[in-house]
Amino acid sequence: MNWRLGFVVTAAACAVLPFVVPQHSLTILVEALILGLFAMSLDLLVGYCRLYSFGHAAAYGLGAYSYALILTYVPLPLPAGILLAVAVTILIAIPIAWICTRSTGVSFAMLTLAFAQLGYAMLFRFRDLTGGSDGLVGIPRHPGPLGIDWFQGKLGYYYLVLGCLFGSYLLCRAIVRSPFGAVLAGIRENEAKTIALGYNTRAYKITTVVLAYGFGGLAGALYAAFAGFASPELFFWLTSGRVLIMVIVGGAGTLIGPILGGVSFVFLEHQLSQVTDLWPLIFGTIFMAFVMFAPQGIWGILTSRFRWRREVPSPDGGKEAPGAAA
Amino acid sequence: MSRKEKYRVKAITRRRVLEAGLAGSAVVAAPAFLRQALAEGPIKIGIPTVITGGYAILGSQVQRTCRLVKKMTDAKGGVIGRPIEFLFQDTQGDPAMCVRKSQELVERDNCRILTGVIVSSEAAAMLPKLEEWNAVFLSHGNGDGRLTAELFVPRFFRANTSAPMGARTLALYLKDAPEKKFIAIASDAAWGRSSNAAFEEQIKAVGKDLVDKIYAPVANKDYSTYITKILQSGAQGCYVALQGDEARAFYSQAAQYGLAQRVQFFTEIVAQADIKVLGKDSLGLVGSSRYPVTYDIPENRAFLSAFQAEYKNEIPDWTDGEMYQALMILFAAIEKARSAEPMKIVEAMEGLDVTSVKGPVLMRKCDHQGENQGFVVKVAKSDKFAEPVGEIIKTYPREMTTPDCRSASFRGR
Amino acid sequence: MNWFGFILAQCLNALSQASILFFIACGLTLIFGIMRIVNFAHGVIFMLGAYVGYTANVVTGSFLVSLVVAPVVVGLVGMAFEWTLLRHLYGRRDGGAYLLLTFGLAVVLSEVIRLIWGVQPLGTGIPDALRGVVIILDQPFPLYRLFLIGLGAAAAIAIWQFLERARPGLLIRAVSQNSEMVHALGTDVDMVRTSVFGFGCALAAVGGVLAAPLVTAFLGMGTSVVIDAFVIVIIGGMGSFLGSIIGSVLVAFVQVMGAYYFQDLALALMYLLMLLVLIIRPGGLLGKED
Repeated sequence: MNWRLGFVVTAAACAVLPFVVPQHSLTILVEALILGLFAMSLDLLVGYCRLYSFGHAAAYGLGAYSYALILTYVPLPLPAGILLAVAVTILIAIPIAWICTRSTGVSFAMLTLAFAQLGYAMLFRFRDLTGGSDGLVGIPRHPGPLGIDWFQGKLGYYYLVLGCLFGSYLLCRAIVRSPFGAVLAGIRENEAKTIALGYNTRAYKITTVVLAYGFGGLAGALYAAFAGFASPELFFWLTSGRVLIMVIVGGAGTLIGPILGGVSFVFLEHQLSQVTDLWPLIFGTIFMAFVMFAPQGIWGILTSRFRWRREVPSPDGGKEAPGAAA
Repeated sequence: MSRKEKYRVKAITRRRVLEAGLAGSAVVAAPAFLRQALAEGPIKIGIPTVITGGYAILGSQVQRTCRLVKKMTDAKGGVIGRPIEFLFQDTQGDPAMCVRKSQELVERDNCRILTGVIVSSEAAAMLPKLEEWNAVFLSHGNGDGRLTAELFVPRFFRANTSAPMGARTLALYLKDAPEKKFIAIASDAAWGRSSNAAFEEQIKAVGKDLVDKIYAPVANKDYSTYITKILQSGAQGCYVALQGDEARAFYSQAAQYGLAQRVQFFTEIVAQADIKVLGKDSLGLVGSSRYPVTYDIPENRAFLSAFQAEYKNEIPDWTDGEMYQALMILFAAIEKARSAEPMKIVEAMEGLDVTSVKGPVLMRKCDHQGENQGFVVKVAKSDKFAEPVGEIIKTYPREMTTPDCRSASFRGR
Repeated sequence: MNWFGFILAQCLNALSQASILFFIACGLTLIFGIMRIVNFAHGVIFMLGAYVGYTANVVTGSFLVSLVVAPVVVGLVGMAFEWTLLRHLYGRRDGGAYLLLTFGLAVVLSEVIRLIWGVQPLGTGIPDALRGVVIILDQPFPLYRLFLIGLGAAAAIAIWQFLERARPGLLIRAVSQNSEMVHALGTDVDMVRTSVFGFGCALAAVGGVLAAPLVTAFLGMGTSVVIDAFVIVIIGGMGSFLGSIIGSVLVAFVQVMGAYYFQDLALALMYLLMLLVLIIRPGGLLGKED
């Protein structure tokens, strides 16, 4: 089974999904896909650069609030609004990336956290603009250019998100398999050596951070347009923690793994909370179980069962099970 | 078959046909609403509340009152002949989760009546969605003034006392109080901002001085700086718009500074849960009460005895009382409309005047705010209850305590 | 109201805050120094300390006893966690495993506390001996907070001396610098790690017991504390004991003075401070480069 076939089959299955599941599940499906995209954006940093970010919520929050604020003043059609929000997120990400990449390891992580928490604090400081703890509610989505409006409904929006997710995945995959990605692999394995080879690793790291923020911002903007509101919780460090968990549980460094991680996280949380009040307990135990018994994550489990050949070296050296396709 | 058995079979069959016929004609003859009840099943009320997470205690109060109400209505044969069914969901106090769970309640469980939401920002996020969901949302305890002002939508009703109403009640009381200079401290959440702003407007309207407004970050733990600020300000009275964990931390620490001896506290919400924890540190606290447990009218006495019988002498907190009131108002609207359809409930609730545990409440038409009486209480030991409670020291009529339409202000009153 | 008295009062406010922060941050930095792991469960451990302390107080009627019992119990819980789960992760290259495990523990422990003690917050009064105020230059200041300052200072000195002079302390420092060498010299490094993890948790528990009279014991009291502790440890330098003292004092002062003068930025101040420190010295004030 090669990658192309797998991709087409998955795409077809997802396209058919809305007609197979009950109507009310569509909402959670859309939210799950958005979070999958968000998790994948973090994988660029965590899996491919080994840069753990504790503040990736900032990307999500920036995307969501940018869309919300823009739409409050300018009734842009949905695609334009989202693109503009992503552009704003990328712009703001550049100085953040520049400052954070001055450090590595835990310092890098804490710097990203600092920016996310600063973002959170700013929402309260400028409450007249951002709605403070209430956030911005009643955010519209307008029909697109040339009267295109199939994404106004839930089904149409599902396909929009699906398209964004698959498109972003293809883009990210191309990036990590390109010469740019090879340098990232070098940075990940041995940064000193890569520098010695003449690469400006700092520039590569900054670019990756900005890219990660860009895709994260896309997820945030898609969320704001879907839910119709943006609230400060989007910036809070618990959001950053959760997306990091999604990446790790899904399988860092595989792009697909984190998508699965995000989707399963949302579904698991949702289903468990219907069944029992003890759901956080079960949730936490599942995380710990993954660490102890399935360190390669969901994707690692799936691929080792099907014994797919690996196409690029795994980001984690020898510790990961073979078969983690990227 | 023997002759005897044949006869028995015939008799049974005949009886069956007779029974069926009687039942059928009963169904046909029954009043329309009973038929509807038999056909439509229970009235579903969705409760997207906080079960795990920061405000879990308020969510647990919502749940216990709902369960009590279900027991009481079941004993009476339901509302319009249909039993009540509460569907609880956990939102963890997160607006995104709240919207998601509410959407599920509406789409999967066909539940068009929503109440029991704890956090004002959760409520704010739901308002624009009500139209799309064809649902009606009744607030039992959301305080943010904006919900019936800038954010108003026709399918939203607020049965409870809002933050501006609490501030107004206190300000009216303080008009005749000896204190002249005041300082206000509030949580930096939407309802706290709402509360402080309303208090400032009102206290100045009664001719007193507000020297400063303090906003503590949400979930702040150490209040030493703010206590020092209050001590420094020279204020004689301090308005406190803090809730739950923040309130308890503030009062505990203030007691350690001996602040209560120098400054009189006036609080926007008096919570029994806080009194229980603070013990003697809470005596003498004066505040606006959203539900005065000591209010001596028949409706409240009935509620209180039912509550204490069910929950082993627990004292109902403000959330319990307000939730009960909201449900009573909801049932009155359903009975008036003879239907549980959302838009029929909306129509019936507008202008509804109900006497509940807090006295007469008018759900006014212009902004769907319930006009509630205002109560000022003082925390004192009581021989009727095991813990100190808020004894009513002043009551204000509902016309005086409710803001102008679609606003949090009281212009010219 | 004289200005000097005000400044003194604010300094004392800050120092009393710093004391509780120190107990939490010191534990976190010791754990990081030895094990290079970032303990996300630290805030919940702090909360567990407060709850265990409450129960000990109720059972024995003595605050002082709870101050001893809670750290012991919580320390043992920490050691059990390290021994059964955490130690299997040493040698794994990816840092994600620790994050996941300690995050998972935080969630699970939180729920366990809710199940055992319930949702109702629990009030711990301060012992009568520590009630009351001291008038300092016209300003009332709680006796309890003076006690906090004193206890914090005493603990800081004691731990410092322990690390500098006592044999176990030297062992801890040696393991944090070069564990293989120490192992080659015959010491049971695993035991040292377990003990340090337990000790770090015990310190956080002390913080919890001390904080309970200020904020009451409630679910979620650990949530923001863990982030505050991280910021302090980063500012001071990960693994640096002295750094945790300096970090606690700095953060407390910034919070107290900042909240007074820059109310609007209260949430942001601590992070601005951390940003500043990391820009100037990426490893923290007394830390080494990662």
